[in-house]
Amino acid sequence: MSTTTETRRGAEQPAGHLRIGTAVALPVRRRSVVVGVVAVVVLLAAAVATLTLGRLGIALPDLPRSVFGGAEGADKFVLKRLRGPRLGVAAGAGAAFGLSGALFQSVTRNPLGSPDVIGLTAGAGAGASAAALLLPDLLPVPVGALLGTVLAMALVYVSTGTGFRNPGRLVVAGIGVAAIATAFTQYVVYAVERDNATSLMTYINGSLATRTWGEAATIAAVLVVVGPLVALLARRLHLCEMGDELAAGLGAEPQRTKGAAVALSMALSAGSVAVAGPIAFISLTAPQIAKRLTRGSGPHLTLAAVLGAVLLVLADLTAQQLPLFDDLPVGIYTMAIGGAYLGYLLIREWRKGIL
Amino acid sequence: MRPDKTRPLAPSEAAEQVAHDKGLSARRVTMSYGGAPVVRDVTLQIPHGGLTVIIGPNGCGKSTLLKGFSRTLKPQTGEFLLHGADLHSYRGKEAARHLALLPQAPVVPDGISVRELVRCGRHPHHSLLRQWSPHDDEVIDLALARTGLTGIADDRAAELSGGQRQRAWIAMILAQQTELLLLDEPTTYLDIAHQYDLLELCAELNREGRTIVAVLHDLNQAARFASHLVVMKDGEVHAEGDPSEVMTAELVSDVFGLPCDIVPDPQTGTPMMVPHARVPEQAEGAGN
Repeated sequence: MSTTTETRRGAEQPAGHLRIGTAVALPVRRRSVVVGVVAVVVLLAAAVATLTLGRLGIALPDLPRSVFGGAEGADKFVLKRLRGPRLGVAAGAGAAFGLSGALFQSVTRNPLGSPDVIGLTAGAGAGASAAALLLPDLLPVPVGALLGTVLAMALVYVSTGTGFRNPGRLVVAGIGVAAIATAFTQYVVYAVERDNATSLMTYINGSLATRTWGEAATIAAVLVVVGPLVALLARRLHLCEMGDELAAGLGAEPQRTKGAAVALSMALSAGSVAVAGPIAFISLTAPQIAKRLTRGSGPHLTLAAVLGAVLLVLADLTAQQLPLFDDLPVGIYTMAIGGAYLGYLLIREWRKGIL
Repeated sequence: MRPDKTRPLAPSEAAEQVAHDKGLSARRVTMSYGGAPVVRDVTLQIPHGGLTVIIGPNGCGKSTLLKGFSRTLKPQTGEFLLHGADLHSYRGKEAARHLALLPQAPVVPDGISVRELVRCGRHPHHSLLRQWSPHDDEVIDLALARTGLTGIADDRAAELSGGQRQRAWIAMILAQQTELLLLDEPTTYLDIAHQYDLLELCAELNREGRTIVAVLHDLNQAARFASHLVVMKDGEVHAEGDPSEVMTAELVSDVFGLPCDIVPDPQTGTPMMVPHARVPEQAEGAGN
């Protein structure tokens, strides 16, 4: 098996081809590859920083031995219990959030058509809280999150009156659904946990504190199952961005393709909310950053996933190391930064007359 | 002439039945968007190798019928046939290797180059793991050359003028390498020179052997470029045939409610419609 990337006509030609043997030949844009490699490097750097910085950090020279060999003593505790699972959940949930947002934004053809803007993650949070606190032995948390997502999406879809077509209505319906879902979550937490503020924050804003390897494994499993299905769909989804009729003419079967994309997006959203809570605005921002960095067309699925992981790992690094408050939930940081971006998007779309 | 299935076919009708198996046809299709039927019990054979133009007033069902031919909308009853088999029984990509569609308002994705746009036309020929072959580049280069876009192949498609953009979409469906092209009002957003430019290109593609079906608004353009004219009214085919026989003053008056004269087109001799001028009524207080 040999891998070659060849480009025609040198620098002026943006598209090259990834070839593996004779069976695989995929068009690849050089810029996307460069951006992707840089993003992975940033992700690795952020991961190393997460494990090494701070009072409990593993000393940098000891890191390779701790990770690949056997960690000992305090390092073992930090790696296996404290920061390792937390890092795994952050990277996995971030990737799932990013991918989920890219899928949904592609289907709605609008950056505002994102699971966190239209209330799906809040719905997942409500479902997760109900499963964890009301029905702890009956319903697994991921299943509860998925049910909450499905219910929230059904509510949004019905209450817009026009499905997912009109971004303005989508945002307004999303505000309503998110408010209902948040109120429900608050009710559940107060009813069961009384005045446990940490628990409330986790279910409403999302948090990465005290994660376990079990949760890291859950989100990894979601990505392993859903990722390949997304890859199967990617090309067709790209064609759907040119309009349903054109996509149909090219054999991309737009209704089926978009239905599948929405279903996969919901599964990813529910999976990440189940392990990290309804962390805001990774879904919104990661695909948009991917789009701007590559300057290409299409939903940029892979890059949105990598950048989602980068964003959430960086946000969690900030949450852990910035001495504002002791372990403020990571969701508050993403909410602050993503909220500003959402405001910018709303104003821009409003000026363009889309809302 | 519809073959009657209850009695044996006469030899001439048998020949026609064979002709039905070639190319694209509609058999007793009724179509709607959930409400009242928009297309009613239409039977239509698209002449293979011809340039068929469908005309009719707004709401007559011409675009809906084209949606049926392109598999975008399923008929309520009846069926669309491609080479004798139900069009909706084909798999998506398989149908897309036979017929290509240029819809009314396709969306140009941000940041896509003209060449990348044209490359999308290769999708029906790709498999999951083989999404590129050297042959693709030949076909794409040819489509770009054919539409005069070679020089701007690496420009962004979103920044093209209306005429160039429409050519880029045509190049995309040419890269699809189908024997059938379906065009839904391809001239709508173009200025008059680019309209004729595009129609001449269609006529050339037709002479090279492609079967073309286009929905057009302009009767004179339809009469000049069509080899087969289909006139629709109220969801039914009102008349069809050679434009010189079909397009009469009576028909235009019947279908469009427009009194007119038909004169020979001084350039091509095809029928040309000249609307009657309304005799101005006595001025009854101008400016009122």
